Amino acid sequence: MSDQGHPGDRRAELKQLVELTDISADCGPLADIPLSQQIPLPPPFDKLEDEPQPTPLTDAAKEKYECELDGTIAVNIPKPESKEEEERLVKSFLSGMKKLFEEENNWIFLKPLVISAEHCAKCQTCSDSCHIYEESGGAELYRPSYRSEIFRRIYHKYIKGESEWVHGEIDLNWKAVARLIELSYRCNLCRRCAQTCPIGVDNALLAREIRKVASQEMNIQVKELHEAGSVLQQKVGSSTGMNDLVLKDNMEFIDEDTEEKTGIKVETPFDVEGADILLIHNAGEIMAWPENPGAFHTLFNAAGLSWTLSSDLAAYDGINYGVWYDDVQFARTAMLHMQAAKKLGVKKIVLGECGHAHKALTVIADRILAEGLNDIPRESCMTVLLDIVRSGKIKFDKSRNDFPVTLHDPCNMTRLMGIIQPQREIIEAIVPAERFREMAPHGVENYCCGGGSGFAIMSGHNFSEWRHRFSGRRKFRQILEAFGDEEMTKENPKYVCAPCSNCKGQIRDIISHYDAWEKAGIHYGGLVELMVNAMVDAKPDFIDWEWH
Amino acid sequence: MAEFKAGDQVVDIDEDGFLQEPDKWNEVVAAALGGTEGVDDLTEDHWKVVNFLRDYYLEFGVAPMIRKLCKETGFKLNVIYELFPSGPAKGACKIAGLPKPTGCV
Repeated sequence: MSDQGHPGDRRAELKQLVELTDISADCGPLADIPLSQQIPLPPPFDKLEDEPQPTPLTDAAKEKYECELDGTIAVNIPKPESKEEEERLVKSFLSGMKKLFEEENNWIFLKPLVISAEHCAKCQTCSDSCHIYEESGGAELYRPSYRSEIFRRIYHKYIKGESEWVHGEIDLNWKAVARLIELSYRCNLCRRCAQTCPIGVDNALLAREIRKVASQEMNIQVKELHEAGSVLQQKVGSSTGMNDLVLKDNMEFIDEDTEEKTGIKVETPFDVEGADILLIHNAGEIMAWPENPGAFHTLFNAAGLSWTLSSDLAAYDGINYGVWYDDVQFARTAMLHMQAAKKLGVKKIVLGECGHAHKALTVIADRILAEGLNDIPRESCMTVLLDIVRSGKIKFDKSRNDFPVTLHDPCNMTRLMGIIQPQREIIEAIVPAERFREMAPHGVENYCCGGGSGFAIMSGHNFSEWRHRFSGRRKFRQILEAFGDEEMTKENPKYVCAPCSNCKGQIRDIISHYDAWEKAGIHYGGLVELMVNAMVDAKPDFIDWEWH
Repeated sequence: MAEFKAGDQVVDIDEDGFLQEPDKWNEVVAAALGGTEGVDDLTEDHWKVVNFLRDYYLEFGVAPMIRKLCKETGFKLNVIYELFPSGPAKGACKIAGLPKPTGCV
């Protein structure tokens, strides 16, 4: 703690310069970043003073929840009622931290966790790569290494019993625990910093493991991800709340709607035993972007694929929110997905346009599924769609997509899995070359949409505003830059192709936050919609520009 | 959770202002919730949307697809936004007493 007066005053003086030990300080929020500290966006959104003003937390929220981090709340941590309760929670946090480093209690991430907890060269390469840190105008609190270094100090002092003199000072009280849990929800888990770290430290993993301690050991979760997310999915069948009957009713509606638009009959098959492919969408597509499953099914039929959806519990919703915060919830959903595939005896599972589903069922599930459950391969829709294009079974007319198009790379498909070229080769086949422009940077060096790790569906209090101001700002900037040579009006509509439901939700929200359709003609959608829009056998104008 | 006054009734709402107990909903509550979402006067068109949402929710336990809402009420999406400035989910569903939509929607 500082000897230069109240830490709050000092921080104001030093423009939000937060120290690591401030995490335990009894001093109110550690940061309150004014709009004026942020970098203006490109035109026509280049006037900071015209941006929507941040809304402060209500007094009722401040009274009820821990909110001493930065003026917003993601987690809704109730304020403990007594000192004893605080002590119990701190102990419980430490007990969870300890388990993170035990083989029998951390089945997925032990090795990368130990590497990240033991090493950091303090070079700050990670900070330069983080969109949240950069877009905050360099707020100390949002350095990827700020959170990680606190984690490391706790690990050294309280788990390993090592010297503070060597590893740095830390005082683990309730303030620190509550702030650290909130701070674990100021990271999109996009792992751009892990990619740039010269020694392979994964700050995103540390953030995710803090979330895990909160959930598995302290029963502290984000409502949208837990009760209304993974729990609902395992109970009803989908985090959207759709049971199998609603699912089928909705799909029937989508089939009819799609046929009306394309002139091609489509009947979505359910529970077909022995089909080659079990296609799993993010069920959010069915509810909010029905043209996406409609387009998928039209393409799969036209290509003559043998495929089915499942109506089994959770198997029609590819989401697995556990991937963001809880190993047990993760494993439960992954098992439901694999059991449904086994039951149908399909040759493979194909994951629809959902990045987190890709991460969950391919990369992570592969580490934990027992033999017998791990023998059905999982494949990205991107390669399946590319095969369809290459097969020549569907004729595409590029001139139907004669408008500016840019492509967003979902982190989990690109950085995590290296799926970069398939979507580009598809776009080459369906969009006139002169109409396509890449974002800078893209591919494995892409930036997160800002909705990653659950943020796109988290909107309590004023959290959506935080998301737009900090985590989503870089992507919006990239979109504006990609279309920089275009007339930024509604009369010149532009398409952001974002082949991931979560990314679409975030991009939709930021477009609406800045009124970017009205002011700049920016629209968004998936990849399959763009494909069907160019399909010669379908009626034109599949993309509905008014629908946003 | 917070308390919300609707006429002489007091109901519980969550952090986002959605009704916690859907069975506490009635027309007075709907009108009061409308005030929180920029809908000062519930017209016949508003009620058409609200009643469809409400009936669908009571039958299926979940909000309908937005496209279905548009088709069934005959209102295009832009009309829904004119009626409910904060949109079908945050605005119309809230006024109809539905819980906040969940999942990646």
